[in-house]
Amino acid sequence: MSSPAPTRSKGAFAARVLANRSLGLDHYRLRLGVAGFPRSQPGQFINVRCGVAGQEGPQPLEWPEGGLPRPTGPELAGVQPLLRRPFSLAGRVDKDDGTVELDIIHHVVGVGTARLAELGVGAEVSVIGPLGRGFTVVADRPVAALVGGGVGVPPLLYLAETLQDAGVRAVAFAGARTARALPLRIDPSEPPSQAGWPTLCTAEFAARHTPTVVATDDGSLGVTGFVDKALLPWLDSPNVRAGEVAVYACGPAPMIKAVADIAAARAMPCQLALERHMACGMGTCQGCAVKVKAAGETGWAFQLVCKDGPVFDANDLYWE
Amino acid sequence: MTHDEVNLSVEIAGVKLANPLMTCSGTCGYATEYADIVDLRQLGAFVTKSITAGPRVGNDYPRVVETRAGMLNAIGLANVGLEAFLDEKVPLLESLGVPVFVNVAGREIADYVAVAERLEEVDVVRGIELNISCPNVKAGGIQFGTDGAMAGEITAAVKAACRRNILIVKLSPNVTDIAAIAAAVVEAGADALSLVNTFTAMAIDIETRRPILANRTGGLSGPAIRPIAVHMVDRVYRQVARDAGVPIIGMGGIQYAHDAIEFLLAGATAVAVGTALFVDARCLIEIRDGIADYLRRHGHASITEIIGALDRE
Repeated sequence: MSSPAPTRSKGAFAARVLANRSLGLDHYRLRLGVAGFPRSQPGQFINVRCGVAGQEGPQPLEWPEGGLPRPTGPELAGVQPLLRRPFSLAGRVDKDDGTVELDIIHHVVGVGTARLAELGVGAEVSVIGPLGRGFTVVADRPVAALVGGGVGVPPLLYLAETLQDAGVRAVAFAGARTARALPLRIDPSEPPSQAGWPTLCTAEFAARHTPTVVATDDGSLGVTGFVDKALLPWLDSPNVRAGEVAVYACGPAPMIKAVADIAAARAMPCQLALERHMACGMGTCQGCAVKVKAAGETGWAFQLVCKDGPVFDANDLYWE
Repeated sequence: MTHDEVNLSVEIAGVKLANPLMTCSGTCGYATEYADIVDLRQLGAFVTKSITAGPRVGNDYPRVVETRAGMLNAIGLANVGLEAFLDEKVPLLESLGVPVFVNVAGREIADYVAVAERLEEVDVVRGIELNISCPNVKAGGIQFGTDGAMAGEITAAVKAACRRNILIVKLSPNVTDIAAIAAAVVEAGADALSLVNTFTAMAIDIETRRPILANRTGGLSGPAIRPIAVHMVDRVYRQVARDAGVPIIGMGGIQYAHDAIEFLLAGATAVAVGTALFVDARCLIEIRDGIADYLRRHGHASITEIIGALDRE
């Protein structure tokens, strides 16, 4: 176990699984208890070793006396993840005893996330964080539009909490391919509007006083179509003043590009949380490169999503 | 039982290291990036990211991909360049308190020599690690390290510039016979050898039917390469380094103390850890302590007793 000095901005920690709940369609909410986790901001992420602490690596093969080994361990029966997996923080609660409870919501897409899905309550997991630069609350914009697609929604939950504390009125737009892929619980007494009017239809955002518009590609829930389109009825309605709105978005590349264009057309500040494949998550391997606008011949330079992001001002990005 | 009972110190061409653990170039940044995770002062030595004469932006994304028990990287030697390294990174290196070796890359011999000459004036730098896995643009892009004559030529040129710094030559494993390249660079004056660099490799996205990396190929590192790396250290030690008295820094997939000990027994005087730092940089401490435990268990007072001890009675 490592206990960081209070001034350290990040560290390696032994976290304990407090809950690991299936949300359906291979989505899970993992709640971790971490003693002494440093201050963090929405938009930041943690890099998680996928497996029970001490058992992530290959286990020695037992050779019985005079016999042959039975290779049933994960090393030979399946593929093990090597590198950590990065996950945005979906929420944070600071308990009185100094423990910090962190939520991440993930989708099982490979061997690493499959291992995470198997963790039982009480298991110890190695976590590095908090990492990256998070969202900045735009002080002179009293209204926030939070736009998320799929697993881009969870960091917006953390942001919704921070906005609530800052007295900003937030409205969320949560999109997914289909109803069951939405990593949120729908309040059965408050179905999402099909016309795009925000209501307290999702439990997690409702708990943060944030009305939500739900959009699904296949129309199985809420508005039919992409979430960036679902943003427009509200954004362009007469009782929303463009000069009061800031946009914060997270999700697949085409979605955030579309949101950036919508915000730019209305001169709204817009921050985007990006995703890139990473190895170290800490700015040393330089794998997670993204192009930003820069002076010079090419008009762009590389920055790192893990260190200079994941949150970028939409106007700073160099779109190809 | 404490460390004081076993002596972990080693010497690389006159540079004394408190223990045999180093970092692999390209996996630990320029200086203090891992300071929040592990106490870098406990290392034997620190090896920086490759520096080139001018800054390099690096390759397009995607640059990294995990493969089974390993990963590919095609970062493209992205680095801040010599001037920014001197201005911004050297002051941080001075605070590390351990010997620093600077990995140097380039496009032609003159680049390397220019950087080496400038680094002679930097006190905190104790040695150059020559990255010869770079294409020689004056020879049509053949990598320096794939041809014995070229490898010898660049070694001799940089050695001439190193009056204070020691010269470590980092060998590429993408060759027919790494011992032949080792012999050429030792002949040309290398003070030490580090091996192995990454193996050229590829990963394919079978749904899009395209290579996953923008660069198409990348260097394979991690646990998957360790047995090949151990073999190559053994080969170079027996055929070249032992008789020449040139120390080897062994690397390639080291994650646990067991792995490091394989390299030491095969003939490495020191070991470097790379990919495993991405997983948990604290492994450096665990590996060091694990080596000490092994020495105690086998009744060795000093690590030098196991260097090249493979096959010995």
